[in-house]
Parts: sequence; C-alpha cells; structure tokens
Amino acid sequence: MKQHSLKANHRRDAIIGWAFITPQMAGFVFFVLLPLVSVFLYSVQEKNLLFGTSVFNGLENYRLLLADPLFSNSLVNTLIFSAGVVPLNLVFSLLLALYLGGGKMGTRFVRGIIFLPVVTSGVAWAIVWKYLLQGGDAGPINWFLSLIGIEGPNWLFEKGWAMASVIVNRVMKNLGMNVLIFMGAVLNMPGDVIEAARIDGAKRFTLFFKIKLPLLMPTVMMVAIVTIIGSMRVFDTIKLMTDGGPEGSTMVMVYYIYHQAFRMFDTGFASALAVVLFLIVLVLTALQWFSRKRISFYES
Amino acid sequence: MKTNQTKGVVRLLTFLLVLSLAMGMAFAAGAKEEAAPSGPVSMTIATWTSNPDQIALLDSFVQGFAAQKGIEIDATFESIPFAEYNTKLSLELQGQNGPDLFWVLETAAPAFIESGLLANLNDGMQAYDPQDISSDALELWSKDGNVYAIPFSTSPFFILYNEDLFAKAGVKTPEQYAAEGAWDWEAFKMASKTIKEKTGVWGFQTVDGQGYDARILHNLAPIVRSYGGDFWTDDGQVLINSDASVAAVQLFHDMVYQDVSVVPPGNQSDFFAGNAAMTVGQISRVSKLNDAAFAWGIAPMPSGPEGESPVIGQAAIGAHSKGKQAALASELVAYMTNKDSVAAMSGIWPPARKSVLESEAFLTSNKSVSKEQMQNAVAASIKTGRVLPSHVKYPQIEVESKMVFDKLWQKNADVGAILDDVAAVYAKYIK
Repeated sequence: MKQHSLKANHRRDAIIGWAFITPQMAGFVFFVLLPLVSVFLYSVQEKNLLFGTSVFNGLENYRLLLADPLFSNSLVNTLIFSAGVVPLNLVFSLLLALYLGGGKMGTRFVRGIIFLPVVTSGVAWAIVWKYLLQGGDAGPINWFLSLIGIEGPNWLFEKGWAMASVIVNRVMKNLGMNVLIFMGAVLNMPGDVIEAARIDGAKRFTLFFKIKLPLLMPTVMMVAIVTIIGSMRVFDTIKLMTDGGPEGSTMVMVYYIYHQAFRMFDTGFASALAVVLFLIVLVLTALQWFSRKRISFYES
Repeated sequence: MKTNQTKGVVRLLTFLLVLSLAMGMAFAAGAKEEAAPSGPVSMTIATWTSNPDQIALLDSFVQGFAAQKGIEIDATFESIPFAEYNTKLSLELQGQNGPDLFWVLETAAPAFIESGLLANLNDGMQAYDPQDISSDALELWSKDGNVYAIPFSTSPFFILYNEDLFAKAGVKTPEQYAAEGAWDWEAFKMASKTIKEKTGVWGFQTVDGQGYDARILHNLAPIVRSYGGDFWTDDGQVLINSDASVAAVQLFHDMVYQDVSVVPPGNQSDFFAGNAAMTVGQISRVSKLNDAAFAWGIAPMPSGPEGESPVIGQAAIGAHSKGKQAALASELVAYMTNKDSVAAMSGIWPPARKSVLESEAFLTSNKSVSKEQMQNAVAASIKTGRVLPSHVKYPQIEVESKMVFDKLWQKNADVGAILDDVAAVYAKYIK
C-alpha cells in the first residue's frame, strides 16, 4: 500500500515536472534541435533554395567543399579574425577589469564608456564606423591621421586593412561585456591571499602572474571559450561593414555560409559548411574544456 | 488525497489536449473557408521602392482592379532594399507567407522563371491587348511561348547633372555637349576632372554610390558597350576581357585613380546632396531632386567609339505561382500592366507598351522633366537601348565575380589581367 502511494507520488511529481518544462522543451525542440538536425540532413542533399528542389547526394557536398578554394579562404579568414579578436579582447578586458576593480578615480565613468558599445545597436555602430573609416580625406580618422602627417588607407576597401578594421571594431564593440565578467571575478578574489603575497614581498608583476592570474583562471577560461565561439560565428560586423570584401578578404565562414545559402541559393552546400563549422567549434571548445585543469589550478 | 491531486493534473492535461485539438479543428475549418473569402482579400506585393507616392500609385491600380472584379483587396506593400532584394524575396517565396505579387529584376529573370515560382500569365493578359507590349521587352520574361512576368518599367539610364557646378567650373553642360553631338566618354571624363579641379567637388558619383559592388554592371555596362565590348552574350561568348571592354574599364579606372574625379569606393559623398556634379539615374529617381538646392538637368549617356549604347534597366511584375491567390494575382499583374495603368506610371517607369511609348502624353508625363529632355534622354534611348546581361546562374556569377572585380579598386590595378580573371569566372557558368 505504502509502495503504491510512493509510486503515485513519484508519478505525480514527474507529471508536474514535465508540465513545467514542456513549454521550454517545445521551444528547444522546434527552434534548436529540429533546425540542427535539418542542417545535418540538408548537408547530404543537393538543395536549391530558389528552385525548392532537394535530392539526396550523399557526401558530395563535403567532397566539393574540400576542393573549394573559397572554403579554405573563409576558414583562414575565420582563424585570422579569431586570432585577432580573442587575444585583444581577453588582454584588454582583463587589464581594464583589474584597473576598474581597483576603485580608482573616474572608474565609474570609464566603466560606462566601455559598456556603451555593448548596448548600442549593431547597425548604428556599423554605420557610424563606416563613416569614420572612409578612405581619402573624407573619413574623420584619416583626417586626424593627416594632422600628424600620416596618409590613412581606404580602411574597408584595402585587403589587410579591412580585416584589421573589423577586428578592432569587433573588439571595441564587445569589450564591455567581458570587462563586466572579469570585474565580477576581480572583486571576488580573496583579499587575504593577495595581502599575504604583498607582505611576503611580491611586487606588482609577480602579484599579477603568480597570484591574481591563477585566481582568475577559471573565469579567463570561460571568457576565452565564449569569445572564441563568438568570433568563429561573427556575421553582423562583416555583413554591415565589408560584405565579405575586398576580394573576399573578410569572408569568414558564417558569412560564406550565408553567401552560399541565401545569395547563391545552394542550401545543401551551405549546410555542409555549417556542419564543418559546428565540428570545428565543438573540437576547439572540447580541447579547451578538457585542458582547463592543466591550465587552471582552481578548476573544480 | 495525493492520488486525487494526480488525477486532477491528468484531467487538466487531458483538458488542455482536447482544447488544443478543438482549436486546431476550428483553425482547419477557418482555413477551408479561406478558399471562398467573403471579406477583403489580403494580398502582399513586394517591391524595391519605398517611395510613398509610387506605392500609392501602385495601390490605386490594386483598388481599380478590385472595383472591376467587385471584390475588396487589402494590399500590403513590402519594400525590400535593392541590394538585398533577390535574397530576401527568394527566401520569402519558399516559405508559407511569400508575397502574392512581386517585382523581378532583369538579371534574375531566367533564374526566377526556371525556378517555377512565377505563374503563367498568358491567360490573364489576353484581356489587355498583349500585342501592344514590345516583343523585345517581353523576350526576357518568356519561355517556350509562355509569359511569366510583364515588364512595367523599361527605363534607360541617363546622366543627371548639377548645373550650378558645371557653371562654376566653366564647363559646358552635358546637354550642351549632346546638342553639339560631342557628348562622348572623353568629354565626360574631361568635364568630371575639370569640375573636381576647379570646384573641389567630385565630378561623378556611380549609380547610388554602389557602382563598385551591388551595381557594378549598371556602372560599367554603358561604357563597356559603347566601346564595343560586353560582359557576356546570349550565345555564350564571354567578352569582358576583350580589348574594347578593357579600354572602357581602363577609362573609368583612370577617372577614379588618376584624375581622382570620381567618388571612390567607400566614400559617402552623394550627388543628391550636392556633393558630386554628375551621377547616373533613371526617371524614377528624378523625384529625389524635387527639393534640390541646386539647378539640375538630364542628358543621355555619353557615346563611345562604337556610338551610343544606352543601358535599359528593366523590371517586371509577376505573380507567385504557389501563392494562395495565384489566379487572382495573375489577373492583377495583367491589370497593373494594362494600357491605362502603364500610361499612369509612364512618368516614373517608362513603358514597354508601344501605344504609350509612342504617345505625346508620355513625353510630358513627368512634370520635373521637359519634353525635350524626355525625348533625348529617355524615349530615344528606349529605342536603341539594351538590358543588362542575365543568366539562370546569375546569383552565382554575381557573388563570385564580385570578389574578382574588387581587385580593380586599387590604384595600381592591372585592368586587363583582372578582367581576364573575371572572364574565367564567367566562363565557368556561361556556356
């Protein structure tokens, strides 16, 4: 009798639990899981968005992908973009968080300024920067450079400079969020440990590298993973500022997927690209995740 | 007690399930009723214009058609930016809520016809004298004797110029050059350079400033063709790297990088704001100059060694073959391009109907443009002009060739070598 009652209780709890999570699960299934599965299915089809046709073609899209020079170009561009964005973002956000966490004068104002780009509309941000980065003497940045005798390039229309411009732009736009996360970690560092190190004679350099950085390492790892994933998936900055140009020099993988799917209408090939990007991000994240204990002594 | 609670939860879930099924059935019944609507019919029309006057004009045709049919139509106009038009439109058309009617760009015509997204209009247009529509104009929009879209605009490109800046620089206006029969690309280049040197204002801005990317064909075609070159031909010849094409593109490149008289890539100076002396436009763009702070005029495109070769920007309207109102939409397309509608639009979108094009009323249909200007820069060019090249693989050609064309926009670019690379891209698709 008692056992029967326990079973009924358990069933009742299960039903109530399912009732609570059903809306969330439905959203996840329809808007995350199904599209994800669809991408894998599309990747083995010759699928044209404009013509509405789809034919199973096995691994043909993957074979074409390996032979496609634009794919390797987009992969290299994505790595260059990430290699620029991730270190710059981590270093500057950590340094700023350490400065702002110190409670020095003017930190509130600086905090506001740094966070402002995060809450600014991406479109408005890009339009303003496209204006600032105009070539010749039309752009305010080049005008400023000309005052100190430097002839600025046509930032968004010259190979190399275009990639540098979008990297710096992206770093400035998203810096504030990482500063905020790091500040939380900085303010939660155990004061007694730092104080003890100071009493033991640790100088600023030693204090940072031997005490503060190891204490912050779990946060650094988390921020690094999120920033790497974000940089691998960059789309808006590229779409709004360079359209992948000049000469495809800022054509990163997600933008190439967009090109293939929505401009060239080759949804099957684009899905194969998306699967490859998914696997790359998965591997990078897994590598970081499993190596975190070697890098960070405070990982539980 | 607890067992009762469980029963309550089960009852509640059962009730929700029954309720959702009942609602589903009710919606299904509603959907059936849509087949024979009693209220206003909703129709969505996709365009790349967002000009309220032009939208109002199009809506007046819809209401005229509704009155003729004795029904009510609630029309929604969806304005998609030109640069994103094909992308967004094709995405919408494959979804459940695509537009019922939509404009089609000439470069995308073969791909859209091949896709089966355009309804056959043969029956719908029978009531409106189809023989009156120029067969040349219909050619692009037909396949195997069936018409899939009807051109509502056969609009030649011409030069829009800032008369004040020409006067300030002491240069003859393009219209004066044209009257003397001396309006060629050399005169154009010289005028642009002189204005830049004497006034400090750019001599020329490409079409909407997009002549280096989204509108590169619109920008280069008038020069290339009047030099005797072309991009590719219908019979599969790639001509973009011919000597004539290279000479033409070199002329434009020299204007940008040697004379420094053309608004360069990325620079946001705008003709309509008075920051350039000339640009390329169509009659539909003239309304943007209604409140201009400067005197302006229009002239035909300059001629080249092979004479004049005006480029016509053609746009057609079609009905969505898989739309809920496909039959009604096909009739509406035919109505919107009948003689009366076309005559009402002719001041903005020059017609493909011979009876309207050859009428006196057409020459005076745009209040901002004189009869002579309309004759010289528009009507004459329609007769001799050609549309841009198109191809069923145009989306692929456009994306891939743009990456190569980008190489042109450097000071030391080797124009001939780059056009060889563009030709290689074209050759992949043009057969």
